[in-house]
Amino acid sequence: MTIDDPRMTTPPVVPALQLDHVSRWYGNVVAVNDVSFALGPGVTGLLGPNGAGKSTLLHLMAGLLRPSAGQVLVRGRSAWRDPAIYADIGLVPEKEAVHPYLSGYEFALLNAQLHGVAEPAAAAVRAIETVDLADAAHRPTGTYSKGMRQRAKIAGALVHDPTVLLLDEPFNGMDPRQRLHMMDLLRSMAAAGRTILFSSHILEEVERLADSILVVHAGRLAAAGDYRSIRRLMTDRPHTFTVRSSDDRRLATALIADPAVFGAELADGRLSVSTSDYAAFTHILPRVAAASGISLHEVAPTNDSLESVFSYLVSR
Amino acid sequence: MNVFGPLVSVTLRGVLGRRRLLLMLLLVALPVAIGLLVRLAGGRPDAGVILDNLVVRMVLPLVALVLGTAALGSEIDDGTVVYLLVKPIARRWIILATALVASGVTAVLVVPSAVLTGLLTAGIGSASLTTTFAFAVACLLGGIAYSSAFLALSTVTSRALVIGLVYTLIWEGIVAGLLEGTRFLSIRQATLGVAAALGGKRPGSEPLEPAISFVILAVVTVGALVIATRQLARFEVRGGD
Repeated sequence: MTIDDPRMTTPPVVPALQLDHVSRWYGNVVAVNDVSFALGPGVTGLLGPNGAGKSTLLHLMAGLLRPSAGQVLVRGRSAWRDPAIYADIGLVPEKEAVHPYLSGYEFALLNAQLHGVAEPAAAAVRAIETVDLADAAHRPTGTYSKGMRQRAKIAGALVHDPTVLLLDEPFNGMDPRQRLHMMDLLRSMAAAGRTILFSSHILEEVERLADSILVVHAGRLAAAGDYRSIRRLMTDRPHTFTVRSSDDRRLATALIADPAVFGAELADGRLSVSTSDYAAFTHILPRVAAASGISLHEVAPTNDSLESVFSYLVSR
Repeated sequence: MNVFGPLVSVTLRGVLGRRRLLLMLLLVALPVAIGLLVRLAGGRPDAGVILDNLVVRMVLPLVALVLGTAALGSEIDDGTVVYLLVKPIARRWIILATALVASGVTAVLVVPSAVLTGLLTAGIGSASLTTTFAFAVACLLGGIAYSSAFLALSTVTSRALVIGLVYTLIWEGIVAGLLEGTRFLSIRQATLGVAAALGGKRPGSEPLEPAISFVILAVVTVGALVIATRQLARFEVRGGD
């Protein structure tokens, strides 16, 4: 037996989801631009502002959009035009619509039947109980609230016990209790070896649930990896505060001496201060003002929207 | 294939919405009501004329258009088709199930309408029965072709209802009657050809040859199902960010 014997080599690990230089454009509009990443088991948050390309990415991964360039692989198989991949995938689309004439149970049952689950009725009951929808299981989904419809969609996606779960804004419309329940459920599924990717434009949702994140902005992958390190990048980015005080000029002079402050500008009767350390500045400012005998009238962070955070990450 | 039953069931429930069903029932009741009125007034018109004008030219294409475009088109429009597509099933099963529902419901509505209209206007004499039977079979086959064609149209465009209406009213209603050569591109002409072949010839008309009529309906049906399957296989979702 030689070293070249195929039985001696370790089989390569195939990522559950893999995007290789994937782009998608609609005419002249680029929705996704040269995105590459690979995902394995665990919960990954797909974070980005509205219109960033999150849904397009999820649709590409679900085989519901053809990549204009690059390749999307699910367990090593092309996602485009291969219905067999759906044995592995559970998809919760963002669009709210569920067949309004079906009850939650019937919807889960239909999904189980179309997946060829061995005991579809039992699987449907389990899925409905898992998403805590048993009380309304036999009501038409047309009478459901947004959160209930969302849970029905998740039941339909879970019913065949997929190894890859793609969820587009799954917590939309859920109340805080349902949100926590769903987060616990997704965490336990990830702990059992599933690959879960969920999109959100809410940083706190991602923070609470995801082990790793993908940040997308304007169709590009702005950052990818461990949540904490990306969060640090977000926190440590330059921040600008607008300050009004009893003596803006003297306050600017006093602040600029501090190493955490790298810029101070007086314009339109307001003081604009730039800092590289958000947390430190919030401690320094009142201390410096008090030491100089200056009263603070107003302190407001500027450019603190998620949009600006994502722009900063893309520009790095 | 054990997914066929659930696919048929969910399509059937989607197609048989209360308002749509009521509209269809009113439409198919129209020729029956006219037949009844003619009968009560003591008239005995030729069954072929009534069935041709009211059922084949009006009721059949409209019912097939509404049902054919709704069977899958409404799911495409509201986005619920995604739940059928993200399943490990061949796209042809989805098309066959929706086509079966569209053509089946069309037949269940239009064929009894044709039979009742024929019986009411022409009675139950031997010749009348032959005419009624011929139009009933022609409506069955024409309904399958029409609903398959309109189903395929709904996978190609979101304006299937309007385009289908234009085809029915303008192409079949005007162009195919004026230009001899275009009759081969008319499901209505093929349907009338089948009716004539089975003994339901309208006086004074010159229908298509029986063999050509059957071939046209078969080609339209099979071609439409092939196109619809191919369209669904490369279906892409609309919208999203």
